[in-house]
Amino acid sequence: MRAQGGAVDAGASRQVRRAVVVGNGIAGLTAADTLRETGFDGELTIFGAEPHPAYSRPALSKALLHEGAGGASAREPDGVSRPTAHELPPPLHGATELLGTHATGLDPDRRTVTLDDGTTLPYDRLVLATGARARRLSALPGELTLRGLDDALFLRGRLAARPSLLVVGGGPLGMEIASGCLAAGCRVTLVSRGTPLHAHLGPYLAGRFTSAARELGLTVVETGTVGLEPDGTAAGGARAVLDDGTRLEAELLVSAVGYVPDTGWLAGTPLTADLTAEEAVRVDARGLVRPDIAAVGDLAAFPVACGTPGGARGAGRGAEPGAVPGSVPGAVRNGVPGAMPGGVRRVPLWSGAIEQAKTAARALLHGDAAQPLAYRPYFWTEQFGIGLRAAGPLPPPPGEPEYVDGEPGGGPALLRWPHPDGTATAVALDYRIPVPRLRRLSSGPA
Amino acid sequence: MSPESGTRIVLDRPRCEGHGLCEEAAPHLMHLDDDGELVLEERELSPSEAAAANAAVRVCPVAALRIV
Repeated sequence: MRAQGGAVDAGASRQVRRAVVVGNGIAGLTAADTLRETGFDGELTIFGAEPHPAYSRPALSKALLHEGAGGASAREPDGVSRPTAHELPPPLHGATELLGTHATGLDPDRRTVTLDDGTTLPYDRLVLATGARARRLSALPGELTLRGLDDALFLRGRLAARPSLLVVGGGPLGMEIASGCLAAGCRVTLVSRGTPLHAHLGPYLAGRFTSAARELGLTVVETGTVGLEPDGTAAGGARAVLDDGTRLEAELLVSAVGYVPDTGWLAGTPLTADLTAEEAVRVDARGLVRPDIAAVGDLAAFPVACGTPGGARGAGRGAEPGAVPGSVPGAVRNGVPGAMPGGVRRVPLWSGAIEQAKTAARALLHGDAAQPLAYRPYFWTEQFGIGLRAAGPLPPPPGEPEYVDGEPGGGPALLRWPHPDGTATAVALDYRIPVPRLRRLSSGPA
Repeated sequence: MSPESGTRIVLDRPRCEGHGLCEEAAPHLMHLDDDGELVLEERELSPSEAAAANAAVRVCPVAALRIV
């Protein structure tokens, strides 16, 4: 059976002469690499909206923000220090790369993608990987966001003058930004709906991080709702308005209130006919929208089992600046054929994007003979001097964790919250542990 | 795609944060020791190891690995 299926697949693969990948983030890059590794030797084109080569998005709100003072940076001939924390090894796919190019339209019947320069690109197989953009609270130029490399470089440049800073959003991204800005010597206030990180990491871990943040000088303002309004200056500055009418302002304002799948360019196609604006593209368990089109990364909603870690609202990012649950519904409504009871969800995590891309690229060439996605999320964050790594559902169940190693009261610790089904949420705090071991702690008894 | 003869994996140790996603991708080529330090197989890659090696390099979120 297997051999026969393989023979048919090989035939199908030979009919695939042109593959196009729209999006040059880690999802698009991995899809392109995997198409090649899976035996596709036809014409491969990848394009990205940003002018930069693919980079590591997780680094943008971590090392990149504060590495300038002696971290991983290179010195240019002109003496200016250039950050390198985000740089990835060069791609292996050998594709035609079109950077700084936007897709503007898709005709799935004729199998063509239209680019912003008017070019029409035919394909036999297509990967949608345009990712997401930062959700904004206003159109004010004074509202900064951190999603792409240019955003991060801009913010990093501004930090040199040590401005006072207001961060709006108490998710992992907002907290990482606040941490990086504090480390750069800024006075920082963070506005959060409820306790920072509570929705993502639960009360226990949120308490640890928030205490550490306050000790380092972060001012935390909890509110029910928050909006932005013009600060009255001609420069388009923004200030925050809290639910009690309090106005907060600072020299710089950065919002981190979630992200919006970048699916606008698919408007009007049959793929999105039943999607509302800003909704993710729903795919099957192999990442396919239809046999010749895959969607991977932050614009895709995969079917996930109920309670699947990382897929849940609030699992956050660990990887992707912009995905700040608490303000963004992680779950998309059911509807994908074969969807499991948990529904379809975005999994905005670094290793999630990679696994989705591998799965979908193989499925584009081999169809049902390709393995469906079997993703076990991995989340991490670094902020206020604490590093956290987690395997298993987030937030963990309420209550105190078991201490597998270390002890309550601070310091490196390996924690475990058991679930009724015998699995667990395993969390390493300032504790070096390889992912495979952390996963073993999560998948069975300690 | 296939490694040329003499290719091997190298680690930029200061960048490594010890996530271990690489170990998961290529357990035969690398592992984290008890102290969380990455230990690489000090040898040339065979053609059959190329895919795993590439996957390990790609999955590292801090780009600490390269194939040279």
